Amino acid sequence: MAVDQSLIGKQFEATEPVVVTSEAIAAYCDALGDENYRRPGPDGAIVAPPSFAVTFRNTEAFFHYTPRFGRGFDAGKEVEFFAPIRAGDSITLTSVVREMYEKTGRSGTMTFVVLRSTLTNQRGETVAHVDHRFVHRNPGEPG
Amino acid sequence: MATIIDLHSHSEASDDSRAPVGAYLNWIKLRRAERPLDGIVLTEHRQYNRAADYRALEDQFDVMVLRASEVETDYGHMLVFGVNDDILRRFDFSNVRLPAQEVIDGVAELGGVVVPCHPGRPTVGLCEHYETKPPLENVTAVELLNGGSRKGENERAAALVDRYGYRAIGGSDSHMVSLIGLCATRFDADVRTIDELVRELKSGRYEPVDFRPNRPRPRRAAPEMAGT
Amino acid sequence: MSANTGRHFDSVAVGESLGPHEIVIEKPRARAFAAACGMDSGRFHDDEAARAEGLPGMIIPGNFSLGLLSKLVTDWLGAGPGRLTRIGTTYRAIVLPERRLTLHGFVTHIEREARSVEIDVWIENEEAERLVIGTASVAFPPTD
Repeated sequence: MAVDQSLIGKQFEATEPVVVTSEAIAAYCDALGDENYRRPGPDGAIVAPPSFAVTFRNTEAFFHYTPRFGRGFDAGKEVEFFAPIRAGDSITLTSVVREMYEKTGRSGTMTFVVLRSTLTNQRGETVAHVDHRFVHRNPGEPG
Repeated sequence: MATIIDLHSHSEASDDSRAPVGAYLNWIKLRRAERPLDGIVLTEHRQYNRAADYRALEDQFDVMVLRASEVETDYGHMLVFGVNDDILRRFDFSNVRLPAQEVIDGVAELGGVVVPCHPGRPTVGLCEHYETKPPLENVTAVELLNGGSRKGENERAAALVDRYGYRAIGGSDSHMVSLIGLCATRFDADVRTIDELVRELKSGRYEPVDFRPNRPRPRRAAPEMAGT
Repeated sequence: MSANTGRHFDSVAVGESLGPHEIVIEKPRARAFAAACGMDSGRFHDDEAARAEGLPGMIIPGNFSLGLLSKLVTDWLGAGPGRLTRIGTTYRAIVLPERRLTLHGFVTHIEREARSVEIDVWIENEEAERLVIGTASVAFPPTD
């Protein structure tokens, strides 16, 4: 199956801003087992651990526009952190399809789709880039 | 003089690795007591990194860097050593469905050698393909020890080697700096160039070596099982 | 994991180890993490739903692995001036709850002028199989 490259560069509509609550950060930290970030920072605001950035997603829009080849999985992520996320911040997500390619692995021939999400806060600061690497096993292929 | 080379590694030139070559060589220098490598071969995925020049780094760290490729075929992944312009003209390394027998024979005809890697791995290893397709001809060697293998995969490779009498190599399949050299190949001869490496791979005077901590070498099948 | 008062750039050396740290993630904690991330897919919450997808049972989200490896680095940095600037992960195999996992990390490269540090990180299972691998970058301010 040839990869349809026409979706590369496809931009998705920005999400509605999500207001980060101290409760959401606490729930994330409790599950992660991270005590450090529950203490307020110097300005009094609760600061989320860097990995909290990956909790903002717009996969529904993504899967609506990109082909599904079968069972999909998260194959990995590449995340750049530019500014901390604090309780009270309002985070907006914009996303674009960066790459689509095929390779073979333990699960057979697979199509990879890399979607870059950019997180922006209420001050217009770029908070993080999150490159989501999704993998879909190609139907009808061995493995 | 024997030469120990990690025959399977990926630098940041591969899509799924972020390991800079200089960091690999520095790590080898730091860990030489545990992993006494003389060199590494960069086997980038689906490409041959023709323009790369590592001579300054080789001099800085006293570690040899050779270049090869890992290609994807209808019998799984294979390492191609001795890549040259003629080979690149005949085969499109970006094709993930290359015909394995043609690659093995064509590369040999054009001066290189092909070694199927991680043969015990599902889908991309030789063993699974041998269950449904005839065995390949003219296989010089297979990768018996792969540093990225999961439980049972190197053991399946050992059974394959025993059954078909293939020669065996080792490589780390490293995609991360700290994993370089965990598995390698010890050559009886002095190997300093890719041409010498190809010559020695054809000669059979080598064996895989395992530098993984606390790992037993995969047991070969009992002699009476060989050939079954 | 002992408290770390803060790591400084000049004290970091190539080859330095982060961890290893052993953990076991119980199912309720895995579900709580998925819920905290808004991941409502059955594969992260319920054995039966996961089996219906051909999985051996409910699995731990990749985001959880990324979070654990990020925390390995930020715990190592402690209260010092260093900052996690990047992490990349590859999920090579599914991670199951209620298994003993080990988090590993090594400092692999230091850029003296840029005052940045590269770190290999990974999660192993009891068979020493690397289920998740990754690299992280840390930046230190001009003086610390």
